[in-house]
Amino acid sequence: MTEDTPFQQEYAEHLRHEVLNGHMTRRQLLVRASVIGLSTTAVARLLAACGSKSTSTTSPGTTQPKMGGTLRVAMLSPVVAVDPTTMYDQGSIAIAQQVAEYLVWVNNDLTLRPVLAEKWSADSAAQVWIFNLRKGVTFQDGKPFGADDVVATMNILLDPKTVSAALASFQGILSQGGVKKVDDSTVEFHLDKPFADFPYMVGSTNYDCLILPSTYKQGTWQKNAVGTGPFMMTKYTPKQGATFKKNPKYWQSGRPYLDEVDVSFIEETQAQALALQAGSIDMMLATPVQGSQQLFNDANLKVLTTPSTMSRFMHMRVDTAPFTDKRVRQALAWTIDRPALVNALFSGKAQVGNDNVFCPLYPLAPKDLPQRNKDIAKAKQLLTDAGMPNGVDATLTVEQYEEIPQFATLVQAMAKQAGINLKLNQVTVTYYYGSGKSQPWLDVPMGITDWTFRGVPEQYFLPAFTSTGVWNSSHFKNPQFDTLAGQYDSTIDETKRRDYAKQAATLLMDETPTIIAYWISVNRAMRQNVQGVTSDPAEFLDLTNAYLA
Amino acid sequence: MLRLVVRRLLFIVPTLFLVSLLIFVMEEVVPGDVGRTILGPYAPADRVAALDHQLGTDKPLPERYASWLGGFVTLHWGESPILQQQVFPVTMQRLWNSAQLAALALVIIIPLSIVLGIVAALRRDGILDRVITVTSLSLTVVPEFVSGVVLLVVFAVILKLFPVTAAAPPGSGPLTRIHYLILPAIPLMFVELGYIARMARAGMIEALDTAYVRTATLKGLPRRRVVLNHALRNAMVPTVAVIGTQIGWLVGGLVVVETLFNYPGIGKLMADSATFKDVRVLEATVLVVAAIYMLSNLTADVIVALLNPRVRHER
Repeated sequence: MTEDTPFQQEYAEHLRHEVLNGHMTRRQLLVRASVIGLSTTAVARLLAACGSKSTSTTSPGTTQPKMGGTLRVAMLSPVVAVDPTTMYDQGSIAIAQQVAEYLVWVNNDLTLRPVLAEKWSADSAAQVWIFNLRKGVTFQDGKPFGADDVVATMNILLDPKTVSAALASFQGILSQGGVKKVDDSTVEFHLDKPFADFPYMVGSTNYDCLILPSTYKQGTWQKNAVGTGPFMMTKYTPKQGATFKKNPKYWQSGRPYLDEVDVSFIEETQAQALALQAGSIDMMLATPVQGSQQLFNDANLKVLTTPSTMSRFMHMRVDTAPFTDKRVRQALAWTIDRPALVNALFSGKAQVGNDNVFCPLYPLAPKDLPQRNKDIAKAKQLLTDAGMPNGVDATLTVEQYEEIPQFATLVQAMAKQAGINLKLNQVTVTYYYGSGKSQPWLDVPMGITDWTFRGVPEQYFLPAFTSTGVWNSSHFKNPQFDTLAGQYDSTIDETKRRDYAKQAATLLMDETPTIIAYWISVNRAMRQNVQGVTSDPAEFLDLTNAYLA
Repeated sequence: MLRLVVRRLLFIVPTLFLVSLLIFVMEEVVPGDVGRTILGPYAPADRVAALDHQLGTDKPLPERYASWLGGFVTLHWGESPILQQQVFPVTMQRLWNSAQLAALALVIIIPLSIVLGIVAALRRDGILDRVITVTSLSLTVVPEFVSGVVLLVVFAVILKLFPVTAAAPPGSGPLTRIHYLILPAIPLMFVELGYIARMARAGMIEALDTAYVRTATLKGLPRRRVVLNHALRNAMVPTVAVIGTQIGWLVGGLVVVETLFNYPGIGKLMADSATFKDVRVLEATVLVVAAIYMLSNLTADVIVALLNPRVRHER
């Protein structure tokens, strides 16, 4: 079972060549190796062959883990009743992730950690993926975990009637009927097309993919929360909080260290920050810079930060005036002072973006594309070339969420310098995402949408930039891009993938359907004695190794 | 007097009807819908429409109103599709929480404001009067969010004398609960101080200027008896009226304080249900708070009638 398939061995050789030829760093090697499911012995051999020392992927604790204790965490309240198959907000996801688990967990450095799947491999076309499930795992109600549960959960997620966010992620990649049980601990995924990064799609960044018992009925989770995870939910009071107790039968022996987790739902960042300072909670799930600046200098607290691909996409509808001409879109992009935004909005805790979805965090992100920055002269020139020397007017629809209104105000001021007059239309989050039959964010001529962390760039560009993408707010329809996207998804060869990525990024920058000005780092503030927890690029909460020193 | 009370009580019912209808109509205008809230921003529009149909939120307004009304008056308040909880127990629990906070604030601030108002009136235009008037007015206009944050930072974070959240752990005794509620009650007391103290002062000044008080003083009654037995009763008339109008706000209007102190009160429940178009919860909370407004005003008017016999016998 720990033997790699011939395909995997061949792929390992391919990776070795990539590193030796200087095309791939050691870190990128680790990511690709984990995606393709290489065994740890193979990875170690690869690293040795590349002449590098292996380091542990987990951060070392500073003290010996202590058993016991209660960790008090504050987070936003779940918006509706928690159901792992349809959840979409921070609070629901964090709650569900304490009780249930994924096949695979995406680490902060984008490597994959086996959870309910011990090992996986693909055929040479990367169209059939085989997952070997962990043995000896039971659900918290005593029922043993097996392939039936994986198949049943996937079928719920792939059912269009379920309306899971996972469905949009799987679109074009996996459909109903594609998940087959081979035996009690082996599941095969027959994909609709080759997809080199498939394990990410059943991993934590496709956050609805928590594995539930095969008998699960939708809508019943909040009253009867069952999973294979380290904690059991003992109490849930809507809008107030939840309590979790350690799962004594958890499959990872010796874990979790904590006895209890006490979650409070606190709506305002400022209120959470005050509670943390006063000592009534030990940790904030996520600490946006706005509203919590005082925490960063508090000696009793520590704020862990991790870079993320969380971002805000400012889209311009390419089929609506004045943005039909790409030069106008580029002009706006060239008015934006990106480092200034990073400083003003995040006190430096963000990375500048370059108007394409290949965030620098991704291993295959092109490294040598010129970075756009503020150049008013160039912006004005572009407008003149497009036949609009006197500037343009447009309405920018802005959802009132975190720093987005300030972002819009700053962009408005920057754009004005080139003659682009933006009128701001501030709306609530509810209005922006739609009611009944309308979804304003997909219709407005210009808007800013918040996108959470995605483990692989396909999870952005497929729904947002391909012609058939369901979240394509810029209405970008470019056959060349569609082709590149398809090639990027299905190719295993790292060199070719890197090339497609560069072509796709260059195309996006040229067409500029969307301005991506920054990639936000995620902060997590906690008391000094909280150990074994890192910040998470998706604001997920993994308390398996947490303890109170 | 009894007729007055009965007439007012009867008047409450049609008012509540009107309020409930108004809320229903206003919610139509608010963007967003239940289906979208439950399924999330990424669900396709046709699935949202299907869920809305299933929940009955796409039926015509009169039909929905009639069906809601039927359930409401028979005390079958139904379940919230968003909270997945029964509306009646949730509303009542939140109401009880808000009532405790309001009661604590009132119990402390009513006697204090009245005393300060009287003192200010007795020492009219003197230094004490100026201090009381200016201070109470200043404290009233400070927004609760500002005073709340300052109090939290000073007393909860720096001095660690009080807890940061207002909700005591379940099973706490009354003294513990009061300890938790003190900080959030203070911003409310600041706001009320201005209204009540100034009204008490104005009422007292007016009473002290009347002919009968002059007569009582000239008669030789001790100052204390003049003030407490004669003038005070009349000064209380406008004061009680003001308190009556404030109670409704103290119970149902505290969204800001409840959010800041993370207190599960009815104000926040109402605000959230309006945002998310949780109509059953919204109607229940609004009508409960409206009823409290009207009952507290009625009680204030009854007390005024008891204090002022002229009101009792009005035609």
